[in-house]
Amino acid sequence: MTTATLSTTTPTGRVLALASAEAKLVLRNRTVAVSSIILPLALGVFWAFSFGGQDGLPSTGAITTALQLGVVLSMGVYVTATQILVARRHSGVLKRMRTTGLSDRGLLVATVAPSILLGFVQLVVFAVFDAVTATAVPVDAVPLVLAVVGGIVLVVTAALATSVVTPSPERSQITTLPLTFVLLGGAVATSVIPLSITPFQALALVPGAAVGQLVQLSMTGETWSPGFAGIPLVVPALVGLVLWSVVFARLALRRFRWEPRR
Amino acid sequence: MTAVMRTRDRRYYCVHGPVEHGGAMTQTTSFRPPGTPGTDTSLAIDVRGLQVRYGDFTAVAGIDLDVRRGEVFALLGTNGAGKTTTLEVLEGFGTRTGGSVSVLGLDPATERSALQPRMGVQLQEGGFVDELTVLETLQLWQKLVERPDRPERLLERFELDGRRGTAVGKLSGGEKRRLDLAMAVWGSPELVILDEPTTGLDPESRRRTWDAIHELQEAGRTVVLTTHYLEEAEALADRVAIMHAGRVAVRGTLSEIVAAQPSGFSATLPAGAHALPQLGGTVERDGDAVRVRTNDLQGDLTAFLGWAAARGVQLSGLRAAPASLADIYHAVRTEEQR
Repeated sequence: MTTATLSTTTPTGRVLALASAEAKLVLRNRTVAVSSIILPLALGVFWAFSFGGQDGLPSTGAITTALQLGVVLSMGVYVTATQILVARRHSGVLKRMRTTGLSDRGLLVATVAPSILLGFVQLVVFAVFDAVTATAVPVDAVPLVLAVVGGIVLVVTAALATSVVTPSPERSQITTLPLTFVLLGGAVATSVIPLSITPFQALALVPGAAVGQLVQLSMTGETWSPGFAGIPLVVPALVGLVLWSVVFARLALRRFRWEPRR
Repeated sequence: MTAVMRTRDRRYYCVHGPVEHGGAMTQTTSFRPPGTPGTDTSLAIDVRGLQVRYGDFTAVAGIDLDVRRGEVFALLGTNGAGKTTTLEVLEGFGTRTGGSVSVLGLDPATERSALQPRMGVQLQEGGFVDELTVLETLQLWQKLVERPDRPERLLERFELDGRRGTAVGKLSGGEKRRLDLAMAVWGSPELVILDEPTTGLDPESRRRTWDAIHELQEAGRTVVLTTHYLEEAEALADRVAIMHAGRVAVRGTLSEIVAAQPSGFSATLPAGAHALPQLGGTVERDGDAVRVRTNDLQGDLTAFLGWAAARGVQLSGLRAAPASLADIYHAVRTEEQR
């Protein structure tokens, strides 16, 4: 009986298999589908109509874009990923999956992948909507791309860290609230708080606020303009994103639990 | 009445404690011949001085275990005895604070990824996504586990065929446990670890689970299981270890363990007082009921029957038996409570 050593699956195939099963589950679960897909989309479109206008001011486009990005990152990706991680740990699924050929890293990637994919789809919807309605006209794409990529890294590491301090799926509705508010509020505020005033550049250190600053830069095109001590304005924002991602990742790595507390 | 007997049992064990290897001839009727003939005698699991502590709490206090390849090994014990903690160390999930552990020649703490393809694990509970159907769960398993197998074979083998389209969350407890077992034996791994595989099952489901474990054994697989049920260990296990309070209290083949404990016989005398003959063992009398515990079953039984024959005493309900695992289990617990 040497069949036991013959592998019929590949590491990537296993991650994809679990990720697609998880994606199917997000769509199958109505509560998650509404709170993670419909609600952020509805809010994003609503805000575009409320704040957006045809005035063409960079600040109008910045607020709308920051709101949309903020809601996708917080409610779309962060809350969903945290809820799924906590639910899978609580029901013992993470522990069972560790008895399969999945590596620990592959297991986590597969578990959060649907949330990330969901976020990207929502952003594409907003991008098309904003372009068609001319709500926001970014002049520099680089900071916007950095905001999206950096923001996703930030909220995924934050979800891993939040799952550490969340004892049950029900509690994830409470434990995700603080960062959701800080991220959303910070992103919106810093998208219009003028970076030309030096002390405001330090707001990049508020978790998630860097996303708003990057959005502002994409609208004003002042990405590389010198700020405090001649450092380009984009730098504090990047430092803020990296710093918090590292803090969250370290917390998650050191204290992550694969099974519910007994 | 029962309560009285129970109290006497406890007192009995307190007085005697562990008894030396006595009647080597002792046999029980429920035994299977241990092991498969010609089984590889090398160790599948070799544990020395395993210790697991959580802060001040010692869950496992330095135990040794050896499980031979191809045998069914049962870990018995009360809740909190350290059985699950021990299994988790073997599975590579638990962190040990002392001792050495070798599972299929690998250290589960550092070589879990090499060990995992060769080992099937049934956890004590849960681990299902309730929204997936039975078939979807097995199809996902097929894509995740490195050992090849087919969902259809397991649906049929574990009689879940009729439930294939049912969400796992809607299965009965017994059906879930069967699905659980199907996933553990997926692809017939070299080593199967089962944590309380039959807890909460009805007798029929339990019988099916036993059949599945026998099948694994016939295929030369090594099985380690925990159980609360003594008859389960008697029916399945080649060797057992009884854990209590983080230690292994008793270990060995069932015949070894049983032989080390006193056997006994009991009978009911006809009405009226009778002076019993002098016996080597301990005699308990409760009205006309007589119960004798002895390390010399043959000698004492001969003396007793000879005495009855000589006086024309008509015995009813005469019964002679070696110590049951229940007696031993009870003895271990009583011993620890002193």
